[in-house]
Amino acid sequence: MLNKKLRRRIVEIVTKAKEGHIPSSFSIVDLIDHIYGNLLRFDPQNPDWQERDQFILSKGHGCAGLYVVLEKYGLLSADQLASYSMTGGILGGHPDKTTVPFVEASTGSLGHGFPFSVGIALANKIKQLPGRVITLVGDGECHEGTIWESAHVAANQKLDNLTVVVDWNQSGAQLCPVDDLPAKWRAFGWQTHVFNGHDAAEIKEAFALVGTADGPLALVAKNIKGHGAKLTEGHGRWHHRIPDEQEYQELMEALS
Amino acid sequence: MKGLRKQFADTMLHIGQQDESLVVMVGDISHGILQPFAKACPGRFFNIGILEPSMVSMAAGFAKQGLVPVTHTIAPFLIERSFEQLKLDFGYQALAGNFISVGGAFDYAQLGCSHHCYTDVSLLAHLPGSQVFCPGSAVELDVLFSAEYRTNAINYFRLTENPHGVEFAPESIRPGKIICAREGHDITIIALGPQLKNALSAATSLSARGIEAEVLYVHTFKPFDSGTVVDSLMKTRRIVVVEELSAQDGLYNAVLRSWDGRGRMLSRQLAINEFIHGYGSYEDLCERSGLSAGHIAQAAAELVSHEVD
Repeated sequence: MLNKKLRRRIVEIVTKAKEGHIPSSFSIVDLIDHIYGNLLRFDPQNPDWQERDQFILSKGHGCAGLYVVLEKYGLLSADQLASYSMTGGILGGHPDKTTVPFVEASTGSLGHGFPFSVGIALANKIKQLPGRVITLVGDGECHEGTIWESAHVAANQKLDNLTVVVDWNQSGAQLCPVDDLPAKWRAFGWQTHVFNGHDAAEIKEAFALVGTADGPLALVAKNIKGHGAKLTEGHGRWHHRIPDEQEYQELMEALS
Repeated sequence: MKGLRKQFADTMLHIGQQDESLVVMVGDISHGILQPFAKACPGRFFNIGILEPSMVSMAAGFAKQGLVPVTHTIAPFLIERSFEQLKLDFGYQALAGNFISVGGAFDYAQLGCSHHCYTDVSLLAHLPGSQVFCPGSAVELDVLFSAEYRTNAINYFRLTENPHGVEFAPESIRPGKIICAREGHDITIIALGPQLKNALSAATSLSARGIEAEVLYVHTFKPFDSGTVVDSLMKTRRIVVVEELSAQDGLYNAVLRSWDGRGRMLSRQLAINEFIHGYGSYEDLCERSGLSAGHIAQAAAELVSHEVD
């Protein structure tokens, strides 16, 4: 397993605030860490640098995974994480771009961040800006029609500066088990690559494809919801559950 | 007289040639008349497809990158269908953009309820940082859009297919200011957008009966010019409100809020009370909804016949 330390931070802030989606965050935290640590071009001193790459967490409920990565790279402080979901804090149960530097989109309602990202990528083409756009969607979020509306546009506009990362952790399959997501993205005209989203080598190989396609790129990550501790893995009651004291200790031991 | 949709195309061309940030995105309507803009401003016109909610989200992405988006399609699809995108992607994210509709109320009278839209003005007004314009003539659209399109706001322009026929001087058109189209002292008639035509017609017939109506014309629904309404009501203490909006929340509520706490007055609302089934011309549907000169004159005469106190 990658990133035990980041997962411990997720458990710490969620338990303290009594708010958060631990399994969703565990599912994507390895990917977000790679994106910020190895892929994105940004200026830590200037969040609004016009030529930066942008990461957009379309499945906003996984934001604890984003916050701990921003802290790791010095873009948020420990104090800011200490007030997560509390009065006076800037970090909430869904990310808010108007209050948090380096958060590029206010998401929460599913199916918004992705078309917003398509707009940013198209705007960068219009303005001839070099910034790349990486957006992360959930597989359940892919039930939303706006995902496919705008995926269609992105392919037709040949947005080679746009990458979608699909958190394919089978959440959507609970409701609609017939769901070949890689085939869907291919059918919509996206170059598509499937990989293990918890394996360092496969993550590196997947993101090396960014910038190599002549149109938009879909990286479909075969993830495990709640990956990192047996307690949180899989689907069901842990989706939005806050650990009690015993569960907190169990999680911290599993992640030590 | 130039129609508002043609003026929209002309205004885009004029501003687009001066402002490289202006980008126009349409949902498969008006692409023919916007070709001059498309040719003059290459790479800044998109007939993006029939996907209105996503079109609004994409426009928000444009705005985030410093462009000035203009998003255009038919009112029920641009506003009612896409309201969550307007609310979250623009409102919540504090982004600015321009939304231009046709087909407000029942301008597409013969197409049935799927193409009617009575709540657009109210919905947009609910969003913090929004401005709502209902121009009733081409010159109003040109003046209001040119003045406001770069304002840090969600700007909504509801273009009527039925101009009211009055040519106001450009210098008399100011965003957020009501125009007094006719002075009077017995009763106030306040009309939104195209209904000015019926309001003025009613005022003429009332005058023949010895009732002098003051006609206030509203092209800007938000911000609302409460002061002019109050000044008129201080004289008349009676008002008929005429609006091609849902009766549940629109100009009538704005008038009542303006007057709140100032004592007694008599009021009547002429608005759209229910889904309109069936077909006909725009004028037919106005008549069925009570939005005609005759209904306005009748309501005004009834109010004048009552003592205020």
